[in-house]
Amino acid sequence: MQRGALSASLRSFLVGMDWVLIVVAAVLLGLGVFMIKTSTGHDVPGNSGYFEFRQVLFLIPAAVACVVLAAFDIRRLQAFPRVLLGGLLGALGVVFAIGITVRGANAWISVGPFQLQPSEFGKVALVVILAAIAAERSSDIRRWRTTLVLIAVATGPALLIFLEPDLGMALVYMAILVGALFIAGTPWKHFAIGGCVVSMAIMLAFVVLPGVGIHVVKGYQVQRLTAFLHGGNSSTAGYQLSQSKTAIGSGGALGKGVSGATQTVYNFLPEDHTDFIFAVVGEVFGFVGAASVVGLFGILMWRALRITAQAATQFEQIVAAGICAMFAFEIVVNIGMNVGLMPITGIPLPFVSYGGSHIVADLAAVGVLLSIHRRREAI
Amino acid sequence: MSSRLVSPAGGSPGGPGRRRQRPLNPQTAFRIAVIGGITLAAIGILVIRLWFMQVIDAKGYAQAAAANSVRTLIVPAPRGLITDRSGKTVIANNQPSVNVVAFPLEVQGAQRANEMAMLAPILHTGSAHLMAEMAHGQVASPYEPVVLAENVTSVVRAAISERIRQFPAVQLQNAYVRNYPLDSFAAHILGYTGTITAQEYPSYTAKGYLGNEQVGQAGLEAQYEQYLRGVPGQTEVEVDASGNPVGSGPLSSTPPSQGDNLQLSIDMATQRALENQLRQHVAGSGTATGAAGVAIDPSTGQILAMASYPTFKPDAFVQHNTANNRLIAGYLASSRSPLDNRANQGRYPPGSTFKAVTAISALQLGILSATEIIDGPPQVTLYKTVFPNFERQDNGFIRLPTALMVSSDTYFYQVGARFWKLYTNATGPANDPNTGLEQQQWAKKFGFAAPTGIDLPGEDPGRVPTPAWKKAYFSQVDPTQETWLPGDNINMAVGQGNLLVTPLQMAVAYSAIANGGSMVTPTLGMDLTDQSGQVVRQLSDVTPPRPLGLSPAVLAVVREGLRQVAQGSLGTAAGVFSPVAAAGGPVVAGKTGTAQSGNKGQADHSWFIGFAPFDNPKIVVAIIIEHGGVGATAAAPAVCATIAAYGPTKFNPNLCGHPAPVKSN
Repeated sequence: MQRGALSASLRSFLVGMDWVLIVVAAVLLGLGVFMIKTSTGHDVPGNSGYFEFRQVLFLIPAAVACVVLAAFDIRRLQAFPRVLLGGLLGALGVVFAIGITVRGANAWISVGPFQLQPSEFGKVALVVILAAIAAERSSDIRRWRTTLVLIAVATGPALLIFLEPDLGMALVYMAILVGALFIAGTPWKHFAIGGCVVSMAIMLAFVVLPGVGIHVVKGYQVQRLTAFLHGGNSSTAGYQLSQSKTAIGSGGALGKGVSGATQTVYNFLPEDHTDFIFAVVGEVFGFVGAASVVGLFGILMWRALRITAQAATQFEQIVAAGICAMFAFEIVVNIGMNVGLMPITGIPLPFVSYGGSHIVADLAAVGVLLSIHRRREAI
Repeated sequence: MSSRLVSPAGGSPGGPGRRRQRPLNPQTAFRIAVIGGITLAAIGILVIRLWFMQVIDAKGYAQAAAANSVRTLIVPAPRGLITDRSGKTVIANNQPSVNVVAFPLEVQGAQRANEMAMLAPILHTGSAHLMAEMAHGQVASPYEPVVLAENVTSVVRAAISERIRQFPAVQLQNAYVRNYPLDSFAAHILGYTGTITAQEYPSYTAKGYLGNEQVGQAGLEAQYEQYLRGVPGQTEVEVDASGNPVGSGPLSSTPPSQGDNLQLSIDMATQRALENQLRQHVAGSGTATGAAGVAIDPSTGQILAMASYPTFKPDAFVQHNTANNRLIAGYLASSRSPLDNRANQGRYPPGSTFKAVTAISALQLGILSATEIIDGPPQVTLYKTVFPNFERQDNGFIRLPTALMVSSDTYFYQVGARFWKLYTNATGPANDPNTGLEQQQWAKKFGFAAPTGIDLPGEDPGRVPTPAWKKAYFSQVDPTQETWLPGDNINMAVGQGNLLVTPLQMAVAYSAIANGGSMVTPTLGMDLTDQSGQVVRQLSDVTPPRPLGLSPAVLAVVREGLRQVAQGSLGTAAGVFSPVAAAGGPVVAGKTGTAQSGNKGQADHSWFIGFAPFDNPKIVVAIIIEHGGVGATAAAPAVCATIAAYGPTKFNPNLCGHPAPVKSN
């Protein structure tokens, strides 16, 4: 009897899954491992599978996180937004305290042979925190006070991350905020005014304050952010961008294959297994492959938005919306950066780029979406 | 979807298997649609962007990717060899060497400055110099390696090899450097090779040269550059971002091909003898400033020897080092112009050697007869001007062969006056500038005032004065001297005045006298052969001799005069050549010349032009010792020793007489 109940609940669990979403995510993860293998085969002398093996290893905790969260009722977290916020701020603070420097940013904590990036996990936490507070204040959602509280909740951790400094991740947090506010029902007027304030702040940070000698954004960040405007020049950022575009463009319609991908294999393309992995796809598989990957992300977004629309509760709906905003922002900014349409911000491509923390965070987010999908409205 | 949007709140009709339904309020639905729309638009933009990059502009990006990873390695090719007429003695060959090169596009900015700063002390140069070379190379030919140092020592090679990882853009490149194993032997003929200069750059690159090739810069190296050049091979290899070759083998490979070999008509023994004679006579003279000589086969025009003194070391221009740079500076600073090839670039008055041409011209024109007896007094007064004989000798009443033997100036002054009469009595059209210029026309028939056509660059045509030339020339210099006067014809008859010739022209003119009256085109090259031994181009005996149409009787009397110069009892050079014939050696004929150089206080130029054997001449030798004194004492013994060295006329050079300075010209 107990066994029958277990199998019944397993069956209901499996039936409640969004298999389209799962298949798309799995294809993207598999593609990621393949691209990492392609781009790093010669990077570690004597160990051609170093990065590939580690990425597969990362998939284990990521899959566990996904399944656990899919089985978990996310609404149980709705009651503790302040605890979660405290935990998030604490973790980010610890990074500051004992963080080690990797590529000029204090974003990692070493755990044995691995390095954890708390800000990645924080993305999922932030989604839950914002959704809980917004749902809690749903009757006051049209008031400025509510909007400002939510902005403050997101800006706190984002500011810490910005100071690490990890501008790209801070922007992801802001994207999550916008997505949550948008679906929570924050008035259009608030977005309009907020947009104006942000524009003015950007002007201040990039034009006015540097003019009087105060540099809010670091020099290399300005260079990276503006490299795409001059199409790639001799600076390091310009070099990355021009090599990325060369890789993608030279892939042509059908790609150069793994053996012909000189930009990748001979290391002309920097960061080819992390931020610029989409360029590897473009070089190896050409337009057909690159457009297919963009298409897969389109399907992913369609499923995520569908789950948002079908969410059983407003809390879950806002959670799903935050995840949608997170994925959409990361996908568009990363691919946009690879093709030279967006500034270089150091945002990895979800599911595909090499990296443990972000893969775990991505699959955790998928787990949350699946959990919401499991309790969705009937169609 | 829309039906669900309007379903009443909480109105779930759900049975036991159905889930709760939360109504989606229209505003939320709209906002989700907005997010979906924005996402869709962004995806559309990305796909369009990919289409533009990967389908429309793919070619340009593919070229950029290839430029990144494909490095062209140059496989050097040796130049063709230059050999003597036997083909056995190599006069110019190649030495394998190693150049230090760098690829300018692969190292930029601070990295380049750093790399060059580390490299400079190894190459014993300044980093500023290396940076300048790199900057120049990047502009001139960015994809080619810039040569930073040529022919480096094994110490430098080892120093770079050991630390090659510190110099990702630097490479040691095999090359060949031209080598002249016989030191200064035939230097003026060979010329030398050198790096393409900035001025030459466009024309050479247009012909497919790489910017850093060595090309012929003078002499035969320049004349036959297109044949001698070895065409470098190219190997395209793939490299990674650090410049290390990758992949199993080259992408493409064109093998290098050595240039064609050039076989000269130069006879080793004759050339050595000529060079030695020139050096000895200049060194032993005290007054001489230089010398030049040409030995030629009169029937074919093949040059057997050609030399100029002072000379130089061609290697100095090829291998760059401090000692050689000092040598070159010395050559350039020297007032005696060791780099000039006096044999075809030096212009001198021919003096009495020209009397043979004057005699033939007058006899052919009928203004002189071989039997006519003319007085050769110590001086003659012609057109109110006194013309003195050489050393005021009295030659007595003489006929033509004798007039040449004793080189009577006063005899030939009177012949020169007859050319003046032709000029003044000319019956041709008054406005024809050539009317009455038979003297000049005959000089030009013998090849004067025009390049001989020898296969060497920079030949001087010399000068045959005409009334028109004199008017044009002196209108600038001294208008009182514009007018053509009797003295112009008279002086030209004895090879003085404004007549200027090169030693090569004299050798060619005497070849015509020696070979029975045909003008030959002098050639240094015999043929060019490729590396399989196939003749690519025949260089000698290509232009057939041009007969001058001389009467055999005229030629015979002049040749007899020239024989008597060297063999007759009163011959001006008999002291040098008659002992040779007496001892059973070849009979030499020729003519001395003691040409006034026009520089007051400097000794006259010493000329001798001789041919042998008299009956069937195999060699003509023309030698001038600049400011060497009278013809018989300096130039004639030098000619004798040169003829002695040539196989077909070989004899013991000690047979040549060395007379004390005699009163003869």
